[in-house]
Amino acid sequence: MKRRRRTRGTFEQTAAPLLFLSPNLLIFSLFIIVPAVMGLRMSLFDWSILDGSRFVGFRNFVRLARDAMFWKTLLNTFVYVGAVVPLLVAFALGLAVLLARPGRAMGVFRSLFYLPTLLSLIIVGIAWRWILGFDLGILNYIIRALGGKAVPWLTNGRLAMSSLIFMTLWTRVGYFMMMLVGGLQAIPETYYEAARIDGAGRVATFRRITLPLLRPMLLVVAVLATIESFKAYELIFVTTQGGPGSATKFLVQYIYEVAFEQDRMGYGAAMSVVLMAIIAVFTFAQFVARREEFGNE
Amino acid sequence: MTRRNLLLMAFGLLVGLLPMGAVAQGSQKITLSVLWFNDSNESQVFQKVMADYLASHPNVRLDMQVVPFNDYENKLKLMIAGGNPPDVARITNNQIAMFVNQLQPLTGPVFSDLAAHYFPSSLALGSDSSGRLLAMPTEATANGMIVNKTYFRRAGIDVDKLSLTWDWDQWVAAMRKVLAANPTCKYGVAVDFTPFRFSTFLFEAGGRFLTDGGTKMAFDSPAGLDALNFFKMLHDQGLAPASVWMGSENPQEMFAAGLVACHIGGSWLINAYNNTVKNFDWGAVRMPKRKIRSSVPGGKWIATFKDSRHKQAALDLIAAFSDKKHNEAYCRDTFNLSARQDADIVYPSHTADFKVFSSDLSVTPAYTAEDWKSPGLNKIYSYMREQIVEGLLGHQTMAQTAANIDAQGDTFLR
Repeated sequence: MKRRRRTRGTFEQTAAPLLFLSPNLLIFSLFIIVPAVMGLRMSLFDWSILDGSRFVGFRNFVRLARDAMFWKTLLNTFVYVGAVVPLLVAFALGLAVLLARPGRAMGVFRSLFYLPTLLSLIIVGIAWRWILGFDLGILNYIIRALGGKAVPWLTNGRLAMSSLIFMTLWTRVGYFMMMLVGGLQAIPETYYEAARIDGAGRVATFRRITLPLLRPMLLVVAVLATIESFKAYELIFVTTQGGPGSATKFLVQYIYEVAFEQDRMGYGAAMSVVLMAIIAVFTFAQFVARREEFGNE
Repeated sequence: MTRRNLLLMAFGLLVGLLPMGAVAQGSQKITLSVLWFNDSNESQVFQKVMADYLASHPNVRLDMQVVPFNDYENKLKLMIAGGNPPDVARITNNQIAMFVNQLQPLTGPVFSDLAAHYFPSSLALGSDSSGRLLAMPTEATANGMIVNKTYFRRAGIDVDKLSLTWDWDQWVAAMRKVLAANPTCKYGVAVDFTPFRFSTFLFEAGGRFLTDGGTKMAFDSPAGLDALNFFKMLHDQGLAPASVWMGSENPQEMFAAGLVACHIGGSWLINAYNNTVKNFDWGAVRMPKRKIRSSVPGGKWIATFKDSRHKQAALDLIAAFSDKKHNEAYCRDTFNLSARQDADIVYPSHTADFKVFSSDLSVTPAYTAEDWKSPGLNKIYSYMREQIVEGLLGHQTMAQTAANIDAQGDTFLR
């Protein structure tokens, strides 16, 4: 048997990739890994920004179980994520299928749908508040002018949640649509030609060719939309401030209140750890589901 | 030369060189970092007012950093936590409670002399629990009411006269008349979406948030329930818009648009409406009475920190800024109430409206300041607001609202 010779490799094969990766690794470690580890540590302390810290073990996590507002905001977050993610994926997919074809008009429409994603969420929130305000809102002004009754878009808990879901879709669908357009354009045209020759209709082509080949991109979209929705804060805070009452208060806003208003950084960090675990579980579950699906195929 | 002469010469040299050292130290360039936020034009006025001080202290320079109010508190907290607080900062009364252990006490004859000229309620808010002054008031604010006088006139009500003696019931009756006489006016009153403004009703009803000494919540009381139920009645009967407390609509915009007849807010509204409202006659009137007449004192303060780099220079600047001349100029140009008792300010306009707010402030009990400077109370600020809204929405009774607020507050007061 021939003995395998160990080669040292050239600079391009060994050191160069590491050098190229190092700035990203450094920034990632500095701004993601280190704060995450510090957050984990902080969750085990009774930690005040101004008055120091005291080790309390898992007491912050035990306290969470009895915190009614934690459960309320967690439930609100799940309602929001549960509505936003499927709708976002469905609308983004629908728009991508409609607008993936080449042509100037398609490009214009794609740009129009993408445009809201370029706006700051603060601006989006302020603009929608002007539109949906009960007394000063433009929409209710039009409804009243047409002889209708003003709608409490942001003053009724359920309508406020629905309005937030709609606003999120409006502002984020263009971004995910563009990702899926990219995915659709990467599917070779020859598959569609073969399907046409075999006599497949539009629905069958979509189900048998587009959807299976787009699944990896759909998974990325679903994962990103899930993470983004769990972390939603700016748009909600500017539009409803979590109200009316706590009807649209999500976990991230509660974490902010606890950590910064009440100066209970340790307790806030414990909630952040729980949120991180939930996001990790959802992301992992999506990857597992995808892997199992591939296995079945 | 004898030994005695040598010693005398050495002493003479030493004495002669001392002033030189002092001059050298005095002329050392100092850049004071100043952290500020604006309600309107305060940072510009501060710099304008202090121009003469800087001219007479050529070694002192100001490095002003103006931060939006929403980011201000966190920025200041992080600077303090990082061991790098600003030399001078503009702060609110909530922040005095928050930074009570970090603020540099203002002691010595200069500050004792200055304090003698200020309203005790303003000084109380600027002091710690032992009465030690931590910050000088730059301006006073008071909760109060601005009304659309055109609407009241159309309803045949002389609101200036009526408001001298009115109580809550008479005020409600007047609002109903105004609504009947003015079809464009949709609501009687808009109250700013803060527990601080709501507390005007609590104090007028004779209630308090805290017990004497501030060790326990006392909101759940007959007076507290009276205030809460009255506030709910205003909303249930359509006298107050649901869209402010339950929908985050801006009451200032509603008043300026002529949708509400009265606005309960802060004295700084005089400045705001002076700039924005041109199409109707408006002015400040006294708050209506329940058990007592009351406002809620507030304001802004100027302070330095124990860990500030140029503490002495900062203290000198604060003292100069707080004297009569500088304080009057600052309050006049920022269109604010002065916290100095001896202030005699003629504002460019609306001097009479400022006097109304001062009048409300003059009858305000000192315990209102004691309650609001409690760090525990300030920690449940968002919770209080949410709980009041839950009561307004009918998700819980107002008795439950009061009980919940007390229970939550007590966890921070323990």
